[in-house]
Amino acid sequence: MDRLSKLGWLASEILLKDSFRKEIYRPEDIGLVLSNANSSLDTDQKYMASIHDIPSPALFVYTLPNIVTGEICIRNNFKGENAFFLFNSFNAYFIENYVADLLENGIMEACICGWVELLGNEFIAALFLIEKLKGNKAVSLSKEYMEKIFKSKNIDL
Amino acid sequence: MSQEVYIAGVGAISAIGNNVAQCLSSFEKELDGIDEITYLDTIHRFKLPVAEVKLSNKELAELTGVSAETSRTTLLSLAAAGEALSDSAISGISSYRTGFVSGNTVGSMDKSEDFFIDFIADNRKGKLRNVFDHECGSVTETVANLLGIKDYMTTISTACSSAANAIVHAAHLIKSDLLDIVIAGGTDALTKFTLNGFNTLMILDKNFCMPFDDNRQGLNLGEGAGYLVLISSKVAKNLNKAVYCKLSGYNNSNDAYHQTASSPEGTGPYLAMKKALEKSGLHPKDIDYINLHGTGTPNNDIAEGIAVKRLFDPVYPPMSSTKSFTGHSLGASGAIEAVFSVLAIRHGIIYPNLRFETRIQELPFEPEKRFLTGRAVHHVMSNSFGFGGNCTSLIFSEI
Repeated sequence: MDRLSKLGWLASEILLKDSFRKEIYRPEDIGLVLSNANSSLDTDQKYMASIHDIPSPALFVYTLPNIVTGEICIRNNFKGENAFFLFNSFNAYFIENYVADLLENGIMEACICGWVELLGNEFIAALFLIEKLKGNKAVSLSKEYMEKIFKSKNIDL
Repeated sequence: MSQEVYIAGVGAISAIGNNVAQCLSSFEKELDGIDEITYLDTIHRFKLPVAEVKLSNKELAELTGVSAETSRTTLLSLAAAGEALSDSAISGISSYRTGFVSGNTVGSMDKSEDFFIDFIADNRKGKLRNVFDHECGSVTETVANLLGIKDYMTTISTACSSAANAIVHAAHLIKSDLLDIVIAGGTDALTKFTLNGFNTLMILDKNFCMPFDDNRQGLNLGEGAGYLVLISSKVAKNLNKAVYCKLSGYNNSNDAYHQTASSPEGTGPYLAMKKALEKSGLHPKDIDYINLHGTGTPNNDIAEGIAVKRLFDPVYPPMSSTKSFTGHSLGASGAIEAVFSVLAIRHGIIYPNLRFETRIQELPFEPEKRFLTGRAVHHVMSNSFGFGGNCTSLIFSEI
């Protein structure tokens, strides 16, 4: 697994370990909507470097940003819609609209969404679990709240 | 969703022929289309064999009546889609709700590669007209416009199952009564991008590929395009000629295992075949021929073989990989092989699996080695499995 996938994978483990009851959903009803600014550039650069010797198949298969969504899906047996978007910075407005639309139209019942960014020594992962069913400590999905959480973690936008 | 979906026309261009008749003739003669690289400009020439369409871009342009500056992916698409449409002999498609659903994986990458040679040397150089057509959807749009199809057009890009999924999507459009006629299939030209990518994955055979053989070393890339004209029963009633057959079943299932490899148990292939059978209301014993995905890679063929075993054991229908003739044409392969499957029913033929020598150790069956004629072929299964675990099976049935 490449570093971007490991980062997203670990963040999703932390997100889901206590609060998520995936058994109440069908695998097809759980989706992922992730985003970042630098795509799979960290692995792309490593792959380019490997070309001078022998192009590495193991690196090559990670030269797409959405592989991290696939890794999280395989780990958790999620089979719903998934997508990976590129933005200059965390775009809570887009995430709210996009995820709310998927939930409201019955495309999915639960969604892991957010930001998974890694390049060189810099990395940030901020994931949100959005469900139609209101959990104990849940708050309503809003871009303002997502922004607030993002900023409260001292994440440099 | 109860509408039947009929096949009214077929068109194909591949390494073994520039049209359906030429492809059939090559099968009869058991002549493959794999050779040294002739048209693609690459450092791998004389090192890696490929299955090129035996026409230059200039010749393809003459065949299709468009500019030779057009991308090869578009030229191939136009040749096969045009053939399918005229084969269907539907008069006045404009009086029907008509769509074009086309799969591809490279878009007009061939032209982008031309652009890059000049651009990398000097970023003020390079002809921009070579990149405006880059993305996959642009190929579909150009061809739909040239065919005069205006009601609906879309592109499906799910790696090697693109064209098969285009056919599935087309069937949904007809079954839902959104369209009356859909020309559906796929196209892909050979490019440096795909050849280098597959070479990086170390799944190219340096010799001619040997699908479903115990000593298989990998695949040979190919190129081409294939299209079916799918019609509703309403259109079928007004047709002046007999339809070929119907699309009786289909399914798309995912392996959820690895980016580019199939699961060892062949989960995705098994589910796709099983659910396609269920949709058609048929049983494994009803299938008279399987057109295998059969790329010739160690991984695909064992995964597909195990899936076939799980579903069909102990009675196996004749099966073969026609990629031993055409190479693996990626986003086009599902449609080229769907055309071959339709023709197997029409002509009562089974295609040979060339170069087969040794049965795969783990499998209790082997592919058909000879071109068989005079067979009763009622139901054909066609498999297309793509990277990302994206597996599709189609079933065609005589009427």
